[in-house]
Amino acid sequence: MSTTQPAFLTIDRGTATAAAGLIGHVGGRWRLLGAAAAPADIADEALAERLRRRLAAVDPGAADDFGLGAAGAAVDLVRLTCTTSAPPELAVVAATDRALQPLVNVAAAAGWRVRAAVVDGGDILGIVALLADRRLDGILAGVSDPASGDERGLLAELGTLVTAAAERRPDLLVVLAGGLSGPGAKTGTLLRAERPGPTVIAPAADADDGKPLRALLDELRGGSREGRRALAVAAGTLATVLHRRIEILEIGQASATRIAAGWQPGMAPDIQSAVVADAALLPRGFGEEELDAVLGWLTTPADRLRVRDRLRDLALAPWSDGAGEGALLRMAAGRAALARLRDETDAFDDLAPPDLVIAAGGCWQSAPAPAVALAMADVMRRPGVRALALDQARILAPLGTISDDRERATILADLRDDLLVPLGSVVLPGGLRGGGVAGSLGIAAPGGAVEIDLLAGGLELVDLAPGETAVLELRFREAVDLGAHARHFAVEVVGGLAGLIVDLRGVPLRLPDRAEPRRELLAGWQSVLWEDAGR
Amino acid sequence: MSAGWLAEIPLRPLVVDGLVERVVLAPGDRPLVAVGDAVVPGTALVARLRDAHVEEVDVRAPDGETLIAGSAFTAVMPHRGRGEAHIEGELLAPVPNRVRRWRLVAGEHRVEVDAVAGGTVASVQPGAEIRVALEGRAIRAAFGAGQAARGRLRVVTDAMGELRPGGIDVDQSGSILVAGSRIDAEALTRARAMGIRGIIVASLAGKELRDFQASERRQRAALHPADPFAVLVLDGAVRRPLSSPVTALLAALEGVEVAILLDPPALVFNVPELPVPVVPEDWVRVRGGRHAGAEGRVLGLSGVRRFAAGVHLEAARVVFGEDEAVDVPLGDLERLG
Repeated sequence: MSTTQPAFLTIDRGTATAAAGLIGHVGGRWRLLGAAAAPADIADEALAERLRRRLAAVDPGAADDFGLGAAGAAVDLVRLTCTTSAPPELAVVAATDRALQPLVNVAAAAGWRVRAAVVDGGDILGIVALLADRRLDGILAGVSDPASGDERGLLAELGTLVTAAAERRPDLLVVLAGGLSGPGAKTGTLLRAERPGPTVIAPAADADDGKPLRALLDELRGGSREGRRALAVAAGTLATVLHRRIEILEIGQASATRIAAGWQPGMAPDIQSAVVADAALLPRGFGEEELDAVLGWLTTPADRLRVRDRLRDLALAPWSDGAGEGALLRMAAGRAALARLRDETDAFDDLAPPDLVIAAGGCWQSAPAPAVALAMADVMRRPGVRALALDQARILAPLGTISDDRERATILADLRDDLLVPLGSVVLPGGLRGGGVAGSLGIAAPGGAVEIDLLAGGLELVDLAPGETAVLELRFREAVDLGAHARHFAVEVVGGLAGLIVDLRGVPLRLPDRAEPRRELLAGWQSVLWEDAGR
Repeated sequence: MSAGWLAEIPLRPLVVDGLVERVVLAPGDRPLVAVGDAVVPGTALVARLRDAHVEEVDVRAPDGETLIAGSAFTAVMPHRGRGEAHIEGELLAPVPNRVRRWRLVAGEHRVEVDAVAGGTVASVQPGAEIRVALEGRAIRAAFGAGQAARGRLRVVTDAMGELRPGGIDVDQSGSILVAGSRIDAEALTRARAMGIRGIIVASLAGKELRDFQASERRQRAALHPADPFAVLVLDGAVRRPLSSPVTALLAALEGVEVAILLDPPALVFNVPELPVPVVPEDWVRVRGGRHAGAEGRVLGLSGVRRFAAGVHLEAARVVFGEDEAVDVPLGDLERLG
């Protein structure tokens, strides 16, 4: 993005909503001048014009400087656009149950919606019907490399079925993983050049923990302008710019993403990401289990059938009903989706803990910032101290489409104070025992020193404004897990719209089984941070 | 009025042209049309196989042809030691490691499925789907259930009304009824039993949908299933009235032969001379939230406003009837046109 262009637009076009950011070159650096969001079917031009109009209203001089004084002028701005779409559907087929599960896990973490079948003992008609389904975008068929003993006898059957499926649907993407492209599998016709659909030879699912196959499937799902891939690229650059280890938790209408990006001096960022269709706000196979999960986070009494109907309408018009009860329902659905994402990506908990956790995606966009902070704390229960932020303007993913690493880093460095809404920090000790006073907290902050008793089982909130930092001195009666096991800790935290949350509710979070006391407990915690909840 | 800012309010087309219908094929279902064929209501599209089973057969391709999966094939097999039996079916996949031996999906009972709307066959993929590019126009819906159906349209309630089982009469047999804001499963099953071909309704609760679908499954499993019956839900699951432009259009279609499609869910009609109601530019309807179902006039954009639960949302100023103007979240509004 050349500085000869004084301003540009970022567009993050999702399945439910679209977000636009107006970025201008001010005083020698890039700044965020405005951001807006709208339902997905609103055109980029309408969003751009809204941003232009606002800039012209609050600072006509700046609008003129950027050439945005006149109506319609924003249409000509350069745009960085990324798009997320509904996850494509992949039939995963293997010779045996044992071989199937790694393939399913890899495909599901690469953002595909997966339907699975096994040849061994399977109903041939059912398998053929699955592979011919018109909703399918591709087939992933695989065996170990080399094929194991129990797979060898089924290799020809598997290859024959996949070849037959490609004859019915010549346009279909076919991925042959592991030893399935060898002569014993009889898949030779799939590799002929005249076949209209692509056939891709891929590594086995168990090779290098599935990373090469997952990277390949992720690439086949979408190009560099695909929003979730771009978000992962931006996460790596942001980690480098901030010199922090960051984690992004993105919940969207059609899919969800978890990204961990680490930083080491002089090295390329270490990025790990998983895109999980089943962790969408309202996944396609939404059933009783998912409904129970949403009801489990609701803070208001609700009739099960009515909640189901409201969620169905939310799926039809996800931008609608965003206030009042609709906001509470959305946050409950968001927590349930975040829990699914956490459970589907539990391998991320083995990575080094993040310094900064960023909530992203349309799910959190209209909720009050402190409510988002609490949702993060409610679900992500890894002990430690971390800063929380919200990608409210949704400009991270579009910036991830900049192909030049240095240029992307320059722009992100300029925008580091504008990119994210600071939510605050959360202190979450693990291993707390019993109730009562668990210890004390001393804060040396610019506003003066504060001393607080820490009561196990509750939430302690401390005002710490955005931009402020403070040093905490935590003294526990018994050793706790705060990333390290000890009784005394001194940590630096940053402020935000939710301030400092000292979460003493235990790890994992235990909630009553009965609905009424559970709702009361959740509402009590929520009322501390979201005082307007229910009004 | 400035038309520019209206582009920020979602616009739903009242009618659409060029709809493509999808008819799902299971392996063994026999397409009865080919690409480019013209179809009219009543044209047989597919012979569905009701009792599919798999046979292993020897195959020999006619000279110069290559057999591929999905092809229709008639196998000749010995019959009880005397003579030959001909088994018609569709090639599924070769039997591995056996020369000229294939699996064939076959069955004895087929049911023909007819087109409910006219058009041209755009594609045929055996075992997957048939696509038909439809003639005429369509009202898109939120979802549907049952089977695609055709009938004469009759409006039997007002926009806010509810069709009760007692309100369904046998003289409405063969019709597609406009049922107002909602209907329950009991009324739907009674309508099907009375020979009604379809119901158009603004909303259908999830429980009623599931009850109806269970009843529909039982009905289709019967040896002599009833005629096709469809329910078309225009807006969603939570109760709200039909919008006034849609109500006006449906009233204009009274007595006209229409079709309910399920994939995509839509009401199709082919009456070129029918005038489509003109919706004023500033007309809006509330899609969801506090004022769901209400209709009014939008006066302008309000910017970001604070709403219940402390949520800040982009809003527009809307006046409902004679009431004072209020701010409504932009995401809750829709225009039709």
